[in-house]
Amino acid sequence: MKRREFMVLGGTAALLASNGAAWSAAKWPSKPGVVISAYPPGGTSDIITRLVADVLTAKFGQQFVVENHAGAAGALAGGKLARAAPDGYTIMVSGSAPIAANKVVQKNLAYDPQVDFTPISIVAESPALLTASAIAPAKSLQELIAYAKANPGKVNIGNPGAGTKGHIAAAIIGQMAGVEINHIPYKGSPPLLTDLLGGHIHFALDAPSNYLPHIRDSKIRGLAVTSLKRTSELPNVPTVAEQGFKDYDQTLWFGAVGPKGMPAEIVNAIQGAIKEWTDMPATKEKLTSLGLTAVANTPDQMKVSIQKEIESIRPLVDAGLVQPT
Amino acid sequence: MDIFNGLLLGFSTATTFGNFLYCFLGVLLGTAVGVLPGLGPIATISMLLPFTFGLPVDTALIMLAGIFYGSQYGGSTTAILMNLPGEASSVVTTLDGHEMAKQGKAGRALAAAAIGSFFAGTVGTLFIAVSAPLLASLALTFGPAEYFSLIVLGLITSMVLASGSLLTAFGMALFGVMLGMIGTDVNSGAARFTFGTPNLLDGLDFVVVATGVFGLGDVIANLENEKSRSAGLAQVSSLFPTREDWKRMAAPILRGTGIGVLLGVLPGAGVLLASFSAYALEKKVSRHSAEFGKGAIEGVAAPEAANNAAAQTCFIPMLTLGLPGTATMALMIGALVVQGVQPGPEILTQQPALFWGLVVSMWLGNLMLLFLNLPLVGVWAKLISVPYHYLFPMISVFVAIGVYSINNSVFDVYMMAVFGVLGYFFKKVGAEPAPLILAMILGPMAEEYLRRALLISHGDASVFFTSPLSLGTLIVAALLLLSIVSPRFRKVREEGLQEAD
Repeated sequence: MKRREFMVLGGTAALLASNGAAWSAAKWPSKPGVVISAYPPGGTSDIITRLVADVLTAKFGQQFVVENHAGAAGALAGGKLARAAPDGYTIMVSGSAPIAANKVVQKNLAYDPQVDFTPISIVAESPALLTASAIAPAKSLQELIAYAKANPGKVNIGNPGAGTKGHIAAAIIGQMAGVEINHIPYKGSPPLLTDLLGGHIHFALDAPSNYLPHIRDSKIRGLAVTSLKRTSELPNVPTVAEQGFKDYDQTLWFGAVGPKGMPAEIVNAIQGAIKEWTDMPATKEKLTSLGLTAVANTPDQMKVSIQKEIESIRPLVDAGLVQPT
Repeated sequence: MDIFNGLLLGFSTATTFGNFLYCFLGVLLGTAVGVLPGLGPIATISMLLPFTFGLPVDTALIMLAGIFYGSQYGGSTTAILMNLPGEASSVVTTLDGHEMAKQGKAGRALAAAAIGSFFAGTVGTLFIAVSAPLLASLALTFGPAEYFSLIVLGLITSMVLASGSLLTAFGMALFGVMLGMIGTDVNSGAARFTFGTPNLLDGLDFVVVATGVFGLGDVIANLENEKSRSAGLAQVSSLFPTREDWKRMAAPILRGTGIGVLLGVLPGAGVLLASFSAYALEKKVSRHSAEFGKGAIEGVAAPEAANNAAAQTCFIPMLTLGLPGTATMALMIGALVVQGVQPGPEILTQQPALFWGLVVSMWLGNLMLLFLNLPLVGVWAKLISVPYHYLFPMISVFVAIGVYSINNSVFDVYMMAVFGVLGYFFKKVGAEPAPLILAMILGPMAEEYLRRALLISHGDASVFFTSPLSLGTLIVAALLLLSIVSPRFRKVREEGLQEAD
């Protein structure tokens, strides 16, 4: 009997212990959290960050506050996240640069995204969009290439930061066409759009959301989308592939990551909340109007995406086509 | 949206219960910090910034703005009654304001300051309503080269205006630019001047530097004369200006307002230049110029009108170009960015309620300040007599809490202490900290725009001179710099700044 009592006791203890673990995960979040935005307010990445922060606030009943730490193509925000405690109260939502590309593009990166981050989920993806100012010397991608050939070294294409998808997508166009392109990094989309509207820079390659209303108003021109197929929001804008760049396909994604060593329960809770939200028809509609597609995947799938992204950029960096200026 | 619809929208935004309440709270606090030495609008706004994160963005901005222009009113109260400028921009007000108080005309001086400020505030607000949409539509013509030149102008203006030698001011600005460089480079992600500590990778928060230099530094400096400080507080008799007073202050208020409105828009100039220039001008044109320094009402009305007009119009470049002309405006940008609003030409179309609500709230706030400062002046006078040995420990604790709450970082509190000592040192050696703070804010922006302008032009620096806007801005900056070399202007500058000391 004694032995049996002991076993019961042991079982109870085990039960209590597992309850304890469940209890501590269930206790999260017991205080407000921070969602780091890697770009300035108003850009696509920031819009998604704010949507995710609202989702977490509504789902978990604690305020998730957005903090913008723009600069160095998201590396500033990435460094901030890497140094944060992995307690689930600090996560980051961002385009792929600080989560993947920066690792190979920036020589002095203060963190390793594949080591120092815990992937949570990709939230949305979209093609990048090549746009031209109203007074640009080219009205299509072919004209742009022809202009670049006639005026070597004179074509500037703006991007929202060195190593962002806009930068990489433009570098690949230059590589495939065999023309020299000057990549001008900006601190996120809003200042790039302002300069494009003012005609201070003639071309931009960036996530589409901020540019859509201005293309509809004919203040700027959409030259090409970087996806394999045209998008529903811009049916008249041809793809890069259509304009002589065979198999050209560049998709940018926005995802959520936490610091290294985040408890799996919290990662799953956040991933679950994001998935629940992206599965809603209203969310899909909202994201479509911004030129985005809702995605919800798992931490493991996101890990693979990060790896793929880094491997696809490495050769461009080695060839000297993508580097910070 | 035209101005009338805009103002209507502004009234409906500014008069909601919450916004009205926070506007009142803002101007009340502003008056208090204006009155209290050792606590200025920069330190106060920094401390309250985290508190506004939970407020709607319009409410937050309305309150923070109220603190700023409210302090312009409060600063004149101590300047007149105690010969102690509560704020730097009230320094010139002590010259004639306190003289008037000594002659038993304290009430009339206070009235001149408040009425001048109110009139200037009204005109300044109207000026924003008319010119901000105009400037916003022009803002797209500002490219990287133009922004860079504008920032250069701002830095040079702040140097020329600083008291002491130009070389010292230049050194302070250079030091500020270097402080601004600390942290991760915005283009390449390289760490600069971080001495290997991760605490500096994000750069120095300028709030930490500003509260240290202006908040703690002031407290330490004030401790120095704690024993010898005369607690002489002038008695306030009649608050009503005489018919003669009205006649003498009407034109100075008008001129002061004009100067303030224009100089407020100039980046780097801020409210200080406005009050100095207005005083200098009045002294030149007044028929009573012999009375200046001996209690001339013109010498109170004009600079007070000018500094308050400038306090309103310096919002224009901040809102429409996203360019902070002063440290306070940089704080306002911080408050907006936290809430997901990027100041810039789009703010008027994307956030009309925010913009017009702010404009209207400024006018309402000025109206409240008129009543807060005239009939209630006795209450504020009592606040000054709070003994320093209660006041200073409290201020020190509050700034420490404020700085800690920005990043929840103890390192920041230590940094603030270091800059507090540095701020005291600057005071002792007569180096004015304003160029340092402004350079720390504008330096990184200047770098960003310089690099971008040169990248776009493929390294051709002539872009700064081929764009008419940029060239014009640079010429103004060069003239400012040259003017200091010219002996005639130099004399005027030294006189003006000496009077302030």
